[in-house]
Amino acid sequence: MATETEFASHEWWESFKETVNDDPEMQVRGHDKFDENFYVEIGDERVLIEMHGGQISEIVPNPTMNHRWSFGVEGDREAWEEFVQETPPAFNHEIIASHYRSAVRNEDGHLQLTGDNKKIFQNLRAFQRTLDLMRVTHNDGGT
Amino acid sequence: MSTSYQPGDVEPITGKYVHAEVEGVDHRIYFEEAGPEDGTPLLCQHTAGNNCQEWRHLLTDEDITDEFRVIAHDLPYHGKSVPPTTQEWWTEDYTMTAKKFTETLVAIADALDLEDPIYMGSSMGGNITLELADWYPDRFRALIGLECGAHSPGFYIDWLDHPQVNTTEVNAYACWGLMAPQSPEQFRRETMYLYEQGATGVFKGDLYYYSVDHDYRDKLDQVNADECPLYIVNGEYDYLTTPEDGRQTAEGVGDGAVAIEMAEIGHFPMSEHPELFNAYVREILDVITGERDEALPDVITPDDVGIEYHPPGPAREKPAE
Repeated sequence: MATETEFASHEWWESFKETVNDDPEMQVRGHDKFDENFYVEIGDERVLIEMHGGQISEIVPNPTMNHRWSFGVEGDREAWEEFVQETPPAFNHEIIASHYRSAVRNEDGHLQLTGDNKKIFQNLRAFQRTLDLMRVTHNDGGT
Repeated sequence: MSTSYQPGDVEPITGKYVHAEVEGVDHRIYFEEAGPEDGTPLLCQHTAGNNCQEWRHLLTDEDITDEFRVIAHDLPYHGKSVPPTTQEWWTEDYTMTAKKFTETLVAIADALDLEDPIYMGSSMGGNITLELADWYPDRFRALIGLECGAHSPGFYIDWLDHPQVNTTEVNAYACWGLMAPQSPEQFRRETMYLYEQGATGVFKGDLYYYSVDHDYRDKLDQVNADECPLYIVNGEYDYLTTPEDGRQTAEGVGDGAVAIEMAEIGHFPMSEHPELFNAYVREILDVITGERDEALPDVITPDDVGIEYHPPGPAREKPAE
């Protein structure tokens, strides 16, 4: 059952931060070394996720030139709302899946990665897990 | 499906090595098999960068092994098929091509003396059914191309073999989203665990065939599915070769080619959701052996084969308040 908190509201992002920082998988096999900041862009709204030691240290709405990040994910609100569904539809169910349909197949309506590809692949599993935890957040633990 | 083993139970799978000559070089090929010696041979090919363990649940499914001699091999450089001892393989990058892939499969079928085997493979093992039907239509009784398409570009990626990237993990988790969220998490995680066992550069080298060398978009009329039946069977969640790609490929091939969409499963059907896949593939095998007269549906669903819906992922208990 979906949480009543509105997707990507301040309260939602606070819940996401708590979910990521409590996640045991983020702390195993080197993921506590995940230190790259990334942004999430939902329609016209950009939110910076600052990572430190595999945990979210800060969530910054509307980041400016005073901030820094290594990569980001962009998509329209509908694509993100599909991504966070308890059982997401095919091709918006995971970031590489969605990016492939955008970047290789030139389809609309999917998420797209931007930024430093080397840093994306250096941190792929932890970054991917962080994004997947948006789904856990949105569905009140995913259970 | 047999998954409820108890301590002391010994699984009916046996593992052996067979020698096969490919491009003039002797290769020591590891394979596992189960089922009666005189059963219909079913030769199973793993996905790029993986090994025969992907098929362990088919090899222990008595509904299948009662009738079929199921054989799953490791390609050279994969799993227990070590590189050939006569070659200085460490001086060049491992690269798979369509020519080498088909010759290897025929060499294995010949070395094991398989008579009219059914071939089944997924991903690169699915795409190669087009080359097999084009070049070797006489060697196989039927071909089952799982996650098969005429062209699957964009996955020959430099980061999958890069000294500053943890390729063991990246090779696996680049594939995470190829599986359906409905597939049980334990089996999706096991599929990734198998991916983490690949040797450096082998996954990327296989993807040279998958995303570069394999392009049948203008050659589908060469595929001899009228001589050798071809089943193109793609999972709903496979974003690389979608069910729609499969339908277009079958349409391009024409007579003898049948496209089937598998609902609620992805690119690694045999390992990500074996219970569902084994039930799906049983329907296809029954058509090949003539046990089923009824045509296969365009889309086969869990309901069609009596499999219950599994909880979606990623599931994680929320910490207690």
